[in-house]
Amino acid sequence: MSLFSWGKSALPTFSRGGIHPDEHKELTENLPIEDFVPTNVSLPVSQSLGPSAEPLVVKAAKVKRGDIIATVPGGGVSLHAPVSGIIKSVQSGPHASLVYDTIITIQAKPAEDDPQFPEQAGWQALPIAQMLERIRDAGVVGLGGAAFPTYRKLTLPKDAKVDTLVINGSECEPYLTCDYRVMLEESEKVVLGSWLISKIIGVRNCVIGVEDNKQPAAEKMRQTIAELGLEKMDPPVKMTVVVTQTRYPQGSEKQLVQSLTGRLVPKGGLPMNVGIVVQNVATAIACLDAIRNNKPVIERVLTVSGLGIKTPKNLRVPIGTSVEDILAHCGGYNGDVVKILLGGPMMGRTIADLDVAVTKGTSGLLFLTAAETSITHYQPCISCGECIDACPMGLEPNRVSQYMEVGRPLETERYGVKECFECGCCSWSCPSHRPLVQFMQVAKAAYRRHERKSK
Amino acid sequence: MSEAEVTPTQVPTPAPAPTPAPAPTLHLSSGPHIASGRSTAQIMWMVNLSLLPALLWAWAVFGWAVLAITLSSILGCVLAEYAVCRIAKSPSTILDGSAVCSGLLLAYTLPPGIPVWMPFIGGMLALVFTKGIFGGLGYNIFNVALVGRAMMMATFPVEMTTRWLTPALGKADAVSAATFLGQIKLGGQEALAKLLAAVPDGGQLWFDFFLGMRAGSIGEVSVLMILLGAAFLLWKGIIKLYIPLSILVGVALMAPFSPAPMIYMLGGGIWLGAFFMATDYVTSPTQPRGQIVFGLGIGLLTGIIRNWGGYPEGICYAIMLMNILTPALNDWFRPKRLTADGAPS
Repeated sequence: MSLFSWGKSALPTFSRGGIHPDEHKELTENLPIEDFVPTNVSLPVSQSLGPSAEPLVVKAAKVKRGDIIATVPGGGVSLHAPVSGIIKSVQSGPHASLVYDTIITIQAKPAEDDPQFPEQAGWQALPIAQMLERIRDAGVVGLGGAAFPTYRKLTLPKDAKVDTLVINGSECEPYLTCDYRVMLEESEKVVLGSWLISKIIGVRNCVIGVEDNKQPAAEKMRQTIAELGLEKMDPPVKMTVVVTQTRYPQGSEKQLVQSLTGRLVPKGGLPMNVGIVVQNVATAIACLDAIRNNKPVIERVLTVSGLGIKTPKNLRVPIGTSVEDILAHCGGYNGDVVKILLGGPMMGRTIADLDVAVTKGTSGLLFLTAAETSITHYQPCISCGECIDACPMGLEPNRVSQYMEVGRPLETERYGVKECFECGCCSWSCPSHRPLVQFMQVAKAAYRRHERKSK
Repeated sequence: MSEAEVTPTQVPTPAPAPTPAPAPTLHLSSGPHIASGRSTAQIMWMVNLSLLPALLWAWAVFGWAVLAITLSSILGCVLAEYAVCRIAKSPSTILDGSAVCSGLLLAYTLPPGIPVWMPFIGGMLALVFTKGIFGGLGYNIFNVALVGRAMMMATFPVEMTTRWLTPALGKADAVSAATFLGQIKLGGQEALAKLLAAVPDGGQLWFDFFLGMRAGSIGEVSVLMILLGAAFLLWKGIIKLYIPLSILVGVALMAPFSPAPMIYMLGGGIWLGAFFMATDYVTSPTQPRGQIVFGLGIGLLTGIIRNWGGYPEGICYAIMLMNILTPALNDWFRPKRLTADGAPS
């Protein structure tokens, strides 16, 4: 240990910026995943990035668990019925990020002959193309929150030289513990799913990144890797678990790639440009379910937490379970709730309507009280530079915000607007409580409008 | 971009619900939804707290008058800030601690024997013309306290340069004196020799300067007390060492040209300026490399003014000159991006 690293953790991490907010994981980290199935599910047809799906069902139709109920014309990520039952309605309703969307509501009617998705023989030896097809048909998207279609991420261009798969078990957002519980309780599925993805993209090296505050999960994953003997499988894959510093945003692709491999993703590029594909632990399981069991993404694990909910839980719910149902299932409000979030407290979205439902990308549902969230008015920039120090990309949020305040959004590219992935470290650090991420978002929107106009 | 307030729609429950909990008022906003908990006001008040050791020392060696002078300066600043807010029809910002900070710092640059009404005028002028008309906290180009001092130098030249007191622990009446730097400036080597001869034990002179047993401005005389306050700010992560250290290096580079390098390094307001004036967020660069250039520039300019200029002291104008360069320094020295070449766009 050199003089300069004295007092610092020796664990790997990204090279600049980042923050360490209060973790609040103790609320749910020791709670095993529970199942909860509501009587009605409401599925917005927009579940992932890209073009929206169109409904294939009409009111009063009968559906079975796993049936396709909406799809993107011309091929894309489909949406499946998470429960067997009757279509109650297909109509406009609230959506977490789109404000309004077409919502398919199913009244659950479980039956004896509901599909159980048993293991398919010979799944390990399927041709790669068929594996990708199953991932696409199962509607698998990135379950870490971004919801990018997984089959597209795994279909590499011909000239791509990829040598490493990074599995993201960082879960760097405060409060969230669903990936942690999944790694503890379903480590075998995570490892097998990771092996499958390695096979699909043709790599023999897989690194699983887990933050320091989730040591039990890292230990469990290591054990499982040793037990399963991946070196003897066909193809053999060298899988290692690397414990990183607990530092937000460790789970961001570019940061995690640097922490685990030391490689820097070029500006505007993807991890693929430096030979790496990143997938979240829950997505690895979804890929395994799709290929081994022909099971589509119809449910997900999420963390219900915050001081504003009576009994915080880690829940496995069908996609389409409403916030209202989860709220009731977890004992209702606890104290003065001022914000309800889908996702984590750093990048999650506030919702205004309890009818909003869990989508494939929903990793958390947080009920925050006034004491734990920040609702303030913002003040002028005092040029303290905290936001620059906190930015993991090395951008200048202070300058962007100053240009935005005087109505000059199209001069902000120089300060990094287009490289910002909205992790929120800048706003978190700002002593003047400036909504720096929001300034970035508004600037990006101005550029999008400008580019559309000039076409 | 304020937060919208909405009430979630209540979905009718089929069964007779046992007294439903009142629906909360939900706030909508962009993330993040948590914050570090630090605020501008908190920072300003911590800076004010860190300035107290120097004031206590001045009170001990110069008497009660320094407290009156400091209070007068703070009152001038706070009243002017309140007036500016009223005129601009914006919420009052006097509680954020920044006007108090300007008042404190202005008082610290004044001779302890100055008539008590002058700092009040100086504080008002500084606040209105440096901060108020530029738009308040965050928008000023120059350090508020230093502009105040510069305006007072122009307005009250005699009082600002002659009302020095000889420090005396526990004595009721302070005696008027002259500063070492001032006498050397006027009398050169001859004056210096006379000064050194007057010191009973020549070997203790540096210690007197370090502790604060010398004639000088209220807040600048005790290097020790300044360092105590600075240590608190460093510990709290409010200031970093780039600016103060590079100022001291810059000044040291010019020390060989001075007739009395030791007095030159410990005398005057270098330490107060380096740790409390030049580190002002608003008027200093944000990036380490920019801060080093900023600090070196201040140090070298201070040396040039002291050695070859018309004033015995140079740190005030040196900092103001470098304040002008701050926006340019922020443009020349930008953060490294997290990309292979690290170049900003």
